[in-house]
Amino acid sequence: MFDNIEVFRQAQAMASYAGARQSAIARNIANADTPGYKPTDLAPFAETYRAASGDMALRQTRGRHLMPGEGAGGLNEARARPVPGATAPNGNAVSIETEMMKAAEVRISHDLALSIYQNAIGILRTSLGRPR
Amino acid sequence: MSDPGKTLALSASGMQAQAARLRFVSENIANADTPGYRRKTVSFEDSMAGGRSTGEVRTGPVRLDDSALTRIYDPSHPLADETGNYDGSNVDLVVEIADAREAQRSYEANLRMFDQSRQMQTALIELLRR
Repeated sequence: MFDNIEVFRQAQAMASYAGARQSAIARNIANADTPGYKPTDLAPFAETYRAASGDMALRQTRGRHLMPGEGAGGLNEARARPVPGATAPNGNAVSIETEMMKAAEVRISHDLALSIYQNAIGILRTSLGRPR
Repeated sequence: MSDPGKTLALSASGMQAQAARLRFVSENIANADTPGYRRKTVSFEDSMAGGRSTGEVRTGPVRLDDSALTRIYDPSHPLADETGNYDGSNVDLVVEIADAREAQRSYEANLRMFDQSRQMQTALIELLRR
């Protein structure tokens, strides 16, 4: 039911995007000293969300249709792309500072998504006439 | 939604690898005065499972540093040869301390990420409790 309300859908997509990006950042930081490792990042949320939910997106009209966001890795994982940056002599290109900055962004967008979700639930409850 | 447990496992693998590195650094420092000791180094590599990379990191095989051992002149030393020299270790304390600092810095970064992932999950669960 909540899937049909745009604000819930958007908040849910944002939270799950934040989760996937957090995973990418964790991988980059874990490999900060691995020789030859190239860091990856996801495409910006605005792009992925528009691609996944806009009018041009695939529609699921039957239960067994495969959606691009499902299956191994999912949409977010498939769009992981390398980040350009300075490379250390051992071929590693991870900058911990950049990753920390991205982690802060992820934190903010995740908190934002959860607050929106919670607020929308509050409004829904108020409209139903129940105390919060 | 990506598996939240996987994110934690990634950070944990990073911490484990850095801890192993720190262990070898302390081993080298402890043996800095052992005659004939060669410093141990360890490199990081991608962890593979079923032929594909899991994204986690692990430590590779331990290697010994092949650089020349320092010659120390001390005719009274039991290991001294006829010229009065013996082989010391090839541990450079400055290098080891720098390595330890770097390992600590990376460990802290991994720990931060672990904590942040955990907090994000907690916030998500908080939402369910209302």
